[in-house]
Amino acid sequence: MENRTKNIIGKVDVPLLVLFLALVIAGLLTVYSASYSEESPQIYSLDKAYGKQLVWIIISLLIGVLILTLEGSFIRNSAYIVYGVVTIMLLIVLFMPAIKGAHSWFKIGGFTIQPSEFAKFATSLAIAHFLSTTGVKIQETKTKLIVFFLIAVPGFFILQQPDPGTLLVFFSFIFVMYREGLSGNILLGMFFALIIGVMAIFFKASEANVNIFSWVFEANYLYLFVIVLASVLIHFGITYLVMPRYRGKKYITNIIGASMALLLVFSCNYAYDNVFKDRHRDRFEVMFGLKLDRKGVGYNSYQALSAIGSGGSAGKGYFKGTLSNDKYKHVPEQSTDFIFCSWAEEWGFLGSFLLIILYTAFLIRIIMVAERQKSKFTRIFGYCAASILFFHYMINIAMVIGLAPVIGIPLPFFSKGGSAILGFSIMIFIFLRMDSERKDVLR
Amino acid sequence: MDAFQHRRWIIILTMLIVTLVFGVRLLYIQVLNNDWKNRAEQITHHKVTIHPARGLLYDRNGELLVAVNQVYDILVTPKDVKDIDTAQLCSLFGISKTEFLQKIEYASTGYNVSYKASTFIESMSKEEYSRVVPYLNSFNGFDSKRRTNRGYPSGIAAHVLGYVRKISAEQYSKDQKVGEKYYNQNDYVGITGLEKVYEKELRGERGSAFFLRDYAGNDKTNLEENYAISGQNLYTSIDINLQAYGERLMKNKLGSIVAIEPSTGEILSLISAPSFDPNKLSGREFSENYKELLNNDTLKPIINRPIYNANYRPGSIFKLVQALIAMQEGVIMQSTGFACNKSLINCHNHEHPLNVQIAIKHSCNPYFYQVYKRLIQRGEQSSIFKDSRLGIEKWNAAVKSFGLGVKLNTDIPGVKAGRIPDANYYDNEFPSKSNPYGKYRWAFSTIYSNSIGEGEIGVSPLQMANLAAIIANRGYYYTPHLVKKIGKDGSKRPEYLKKNYTMAAAKYFGPVINAMEMVVENGTARNAQVDSIIVCGKTGTVQNETFNDHSVFIAFAPKENPQIAIAVYVEYGTWGGIWAAKIASLMIEKYLAKELSENGKNKEKQVLDAIILDKHSDFK
Ligand SMILES: [Zn+2]
Repeated sequence: MENRTKNIIGKVDVPLLVLFLALVIAGLLTVYSASYSEESPQIYSLDKAYGKQLVWIIISLLIGVLILTLEGSFIRNSAYIVYGVVTIMLLIVLFMPAIKGAHSWFKIGGFTIQPSEFAKFATSLAIAHFLSTTGVKIQETKTKLIVFFLIAVPGFFILQQPDPGTLLVFFSFIFVMYREGLSGNILLGMFFALIIGVMAIFFKASEANVNIFSWVFEANYLYLFVIVLASVLIHFGITYLVMPRYRGKKYITNIIGASMALLLVFSCNYAYDNVFKDRHRDRFEVMFGLKLDRKGVGYNSYQALSAIGSGGSAGKGYFKGTLSNDKYKHVPEQSTDFIFCSWAEEWGFLGSFLLIILYTAFLIRIIMVAERQKSKFTRIFGYCAASILFFHYMINIAMVIGLAPVIGIPLPFFSKGGSAILGFSIMIFIFLRMDSERKDVLR
Repeated sequence: MDAFQHRRWIIILTMLIVTLVFGVRLLYIQVLNNDWKNRAEQITHHKVTIHPARGLLYDRNGELLVAVNQVYDILVTPKDVKDIDTAQLCSLFGISKTEFLQKIEYASTGYNVSYKASTFIESMSKEEYSRVVPYLNSFNGFDSKRRTNRGYPSGIAAHVLGYVRKISAEQYSKDQKVGEKYYNQNDYVGITGLEKVYEKELRGERGSAFFLRDYAGNDKTNLEENYAISGQNLYTSIDINLQAYGERLMKNKLGSIVAIEPSTGEILSLISAPSFDPNKLSGREFSENYKELLNNDTLKPIINRPIYNANYRPGSIFKLVQALIAMQEGVIMQSTGFACNKSLINCHNHEHPLNVQIAIKHSCNPYFYQVYKRLIQRGEQSSIFKDSRLGIEKWNAAVKSFGLGVKLNTDIPGVKAGRIPDANYYDNEFPSKSNPYGKYRWAFSTIYSNSIGEGEIGVSPLQMANLAAIIANRGYYYTPHLVKKIGKDGSKRPEYLKKNYTMAAAKYFGPVINAMEMVVENGTARNAQVDSIIVCGKTGTVQNETFNDHSVFIAFAPKENPQIAIAVYVEYGTWGGIWAAKIASLMIEKYLAKELSENGKNKEKQVLDAIILDKHSDFK
């Protein structure tokens, strides 16, 4: 038994484990600094954020080691069971008393458990299991529907909590689908839709006017015109310049594409005027830099950027932050969603750049490890992990550095939160375990 | 085997692009651009100004002239004023609803803004404050601040001390544009008097402390502290008792007293009547009191007459200067006599002026007419016009060496030069600027009134007192000044240690001083006699077309080793021998003997009872 455990640990992918531990340790140090208070400097105080975080990390690592001792087939086979149990937890948690207006937590003693964090790896397990089943082809509509269903059920419960931030993370599975063969056009289409939509809102929010031959009209309308013009140009471009075999066929697609784009712009405009509340509109204006609002909705962003900017090249030094820590509290949520501020303020550009490099290396390593799998299950699960973590990383950092509106999504391994660190650790350790037996499967 | 393997690269590329964008953005925020660093400083840094204590003013014997009072300002932050019982608040502070609204309006406009605290009620005394403070908490948006205020324990010397007020918008912007950029908008500055002249010494140096503050605005960490340097105390030359006594004597009169210590040039008292209690210009009632002093009082108590009124003609007193200059220039000798020829200029009956001394004693007009003629028309040029031009220039320079017609550099604002006419003046400004005589169109016969101190001569009481000091010193003076020491171990300004010599040699002063002794002993100023002290003096009467003549008297005492030189002006007090001489002698006696003799006491009663003018008189 002991021999076997040693054997498994010996086969674990060391670079991935090292990157994982580096992020966890850096995260703990940052939480410690962000919530440090001179009045009670003991690190192990359970009442303090960092004390709790340390306990959760120890629990996570113990459970991680436990996972490493499990049989790969056992994990595969229990995928649906885990998915089912977590989904039921998501249903039950809705009946728990609300904390900060959301029914997201089970309260046990001094600790709280957030099942939606577990839903991330549980849904990943279920999707990996389903897509790796022999005979399932992603190109089939039925497959897409079932995957959608697997995501939608926990997603629906999470929306009821309500926790739209976590729900957003479930969109990251689109990357997994893409890797497994979903038409790139869907991804590309979504990408274009996002660009067109954001620009539409930008023109709407800026209320810019264009003056052509003393004829003044909203930039918004010019934008519509440009879309139509671009479609026509693309069409003729394809017709006369690109490979002839695409002609004719793309004619219809192009018209549909253009119409969809116009429809999107109209709906954005409609939504901006009729669906959005003032606070939403303000949030967009702040994000687009149309308004530097340091008191209202822009407060968080303004404080966060000030903290990051004040770090300069080399930072103020560990514990030397003057904005994003417990003593000064200029940055709200400085130990959860805005934890990056604390890191960037104390370690400066060198630190923050190192961190995003570390993060990217970690994500790429997951993908490399996933790609070397012979087992489709392991590969898909690896992609699920990479996609979810990438999504978190992308949205959180973009929000903190003012490239995206403020959306409550934590930075994995850094943001304070026991369930999150446990959930992400389970995800990584399952992946490490599955990877460590890749040669066994062949045999 | 896997047709979609290559897609890993698209996904990895996406990740790298996102990280690259983040990297560039972070590089911009943290390294290339300083905006967010500055904003961070605005968020975290809190500068606290430490105000130094303003220096105090003492009299020459260490008695406090200007002290500090603890006062309390009630502040209001208009934005935070909500849910308050306005009626209760108004009755607490004793103001009307309209006043309340005005004050709130004032606190939110101009350079006051509604989210910052501004003054609601100024300078409450400790007693008033302790009455309102228990209720203050129940009014949202109201707060209080302790401050120090100038206090004047003796209530005298308002014109000398000046007053302190919040810096005006104009002065503030001037300081910002062309000044030293020292002041803040809420700073208090000296407006007049010594408070203004010694503003830099009195105010000290402001200190500051930088704190790091938390999100709620609490100062958490002290980054650096520059201590404030307290203002220096001023040890003035004023004798508090003499000043107070002089002000008492000048009650119900209009005029000036200037007393100088001849051996140093230190001003012992500088009195402008009518005066007022300097406490009136400190504190809450400033505006009303100031307006009343400035506008509603026809006697203009704000004016500092002894330095500012420099258009008094010196009258007979000027004969002292004429005699000294004439002897120095050699146009007469001590023993030169002239007939009292009343056809030249009017005179009264008196013994024959057979020398300078007798002429001064009797203030003989024809005598000085002839002296002045010799000074102006010296016969150096054949044309009397050219001769007069030469003569007046020489005379002018000599007179100016007595501190007349020049601006004395006394440490008080508003000092006027007065006028000693010169050739240019008669060429271009006399009798009027629009229609002057012109060059070579005037001679002695045009300007002879100057010979007896009338004509176009204008002097201030300060200059007259200085003249008394010059004679007491036999030919030199120290510029009269009000501050003996800046700071406890400090010294006076260096320019006040310099002797200014007149053009008349010391040997010519003897006969003049003897004459002045005789003036008091059995001449026109017998009213100025003091038992046991030899007073040397000279009366003057300044003719005045509209009303009674001004009564003027200068003196110094004692004759040997003089301790005090004095000039007294009593406007509309008729001739110099009466009120001015009496007041001067009382001042001298009080200063030198401390206690008044029987004669002194009688004189004092007469002076105190005399109502020469008060503000209810119908004088216009
Ligand atoms: Zn005569």
